[in-house]
Amino acid sequence: MWLKIRPYLLLMPAVGLTLLLFFGGLALGLLQSLGLFSISGGSSFTFEWYQTLLVDQAFWKSFWLSFYTAGISTLISAVLGILTALGLLRLSYKWQRMTQFALLVPHFIAGYVVILLFMQSGWVSRWLHAFGLIDSIEQFPILVNDPFGWGVILTYIWKETPFIALMVYPVLARIYQSWLEVAQTLGASRLSFFREIVLPLVLPAWLASALIVLAFTFSAFEVPYLLGVTFPETLSVFSYQTYLSGSLEERPLALAVNFLLAVATGFLGWIAYQWSKRWSVQGWKGW
Amino acid sequence: MKLSIIKFLVVLGILFFLAPLVLTSLSAGWRWPMLWPAEISWRSWEYLFSGQSQTGIAVFNSLLIACGVTIVNLGLAIPAAYGLIRFPLKGKLIVQIILFAPLVIPPFVSLMGIHFTFIRLGLTESLPGLILAHLTPTLPYMIWALLSSYRTVGPEWEEQARMLGANGLQRMIHVVIPFLLPGILAGSSLSILVSLSQYLITFLIGGGQVITLPILLFPFISGGDPALGAAYALLFIGMAFLALFILDCLLKWSYRRVN
Repeated sequence: MWLKIRPYLLLMPAVGLTLLLFFGGLALGLLQSLGLFSISGGSSFTFEWYQTLLVDQAFWKSFWLSFYTAGISTLISAVLGILTALGLLRLSYKWQRMTQFALLVPHFIAGYVVILLFMQSGWVSRWLHAFGLIDSIEQFPILVNDPFGWGVILTYIWKETPFIALMVYPVLARIYQSWLEVAQTLGASRLSFFREIVLPLVLPAWLASALIVLAFTFSAFEVPYLLGVTFPETLSVFSYQTYLSGSLEERPLALAVNFLLAVATGFLGWIAYQWSKRWSVQGWKGW
Repeated sequence: MKLSIIKFLVVLGILFFLAPLVLTSLSAGWRWPMLWPAEISWRSWEYLFSGQSQTGIAVFNSLLIACGVTIVNLGLAIPAAYGLIRFPLKGKLIVQIILFAPLVIPPFVSLMGIHFTFIRLGLTESLPGLILAHLTPTLPYMIWALLSSYRTVGPEWEEQARMLGANGLQRMIHVVIPFLLPGILAGSSLSILVSLSQYLITFLIGGGQVITLPILLFPFISGGDPALGAAYALLFIGMAFLALFILDCLLKWSYRRVN
């Protein structure tokens, strides 16, 4: 009896706290977005706030902005990430540690450095002038606080590339360690080795880490808040502005956006989990 | 690609990242298109370390919250990871989903939902409230680090100790914890780092009343004084680096002890 309930007792504090704090918060947010437990008084079940959102042009603009900035950043970081990991394979442990520097820096500081580098009067434009490539400050494109979101994308690329690299690195290292010599003895070139052996084996881990990045960049707040414009704004900034700057009556609207964000990121996380599971169960056995 | 080229790129990347921060923090009226500031000004650093700035209290609060969060996380995660790895468990998948969900669903989403309850319970604008708020984004990292560490402690070692007559507590102290130390330190590093970097949830729950380093820094980098923003950013990086360096030294020391 004791042995049976022991693991549940051991897990109870952590699971209980997560249920209470995290899932409790999600549930309370959902209920409030449905018009219940309203802060401004009154409590009646309604889909009104979701209806308001779905017909609101601004909401769809925000959705689209969040979606493509996250999508572009993820695609580019995924490609750069695996290239970085391939480069890391050749470096000693000490050098690998240095690349972890990028993980140490929080997103808002990375965003600030992108501002200092890429604003029109930034360091990059000064260097271009020094090399005679531009003559005036206006010739440098507006990349920061621009309506398209280039600054946001740039920040995410440089923050997420090392993340993906460090996620796929252990798998890559293992593949190269166990298969490179065999493949070379059998006459495979480095490129065909990569295409035929490495890519299929690394794919699940690679896609899973890319999905985690997609979920994060789709919903994160600090970077688009710092490097974006007032309109259009990403869903996270939309939610933040509605929650804090709007009236108390409008808060359910922010919580409705939040619930949609939770569903979208939860879904992406679920697929990532499925992929990484397939990789850890089947993938490791053969080698 | 040549090895030296890869190394060159790594160094260039770090320099290209730090240089604008250092230069901006030392600049005064740095006009375009000058590559370097015409004169060095220590104004921002003097302000940062002066009594009028709130640097001291911000650093203190940030570290206090990060350490508090990490201690609570250890208390929660050490038994939880043990339960997950050592016992056959019904609903293991559900437990894992619950514990790791905050890694993908952004914690601010849940925190906005529970915000009003925090106000009612008097948890906003207080350090305990902030420690609670920082638990959600950090706990999954701690559990993850401890899980990988528990995998290195085979149950045989505990069996052995039991046969030799060690009771539960003795087995924990003399067998499990030494093996677990690397995981404890790695998890603590992640927990501290993630807690130090929180802006939005600190702002929501702290209401701007509890000053942490990100709270102090944010107005400067979102259109405030660029020199001060850069100086605070460097201070933040330095603090995070130092915290991780100390934990890393402890980690090496613990490896040596285990081996």
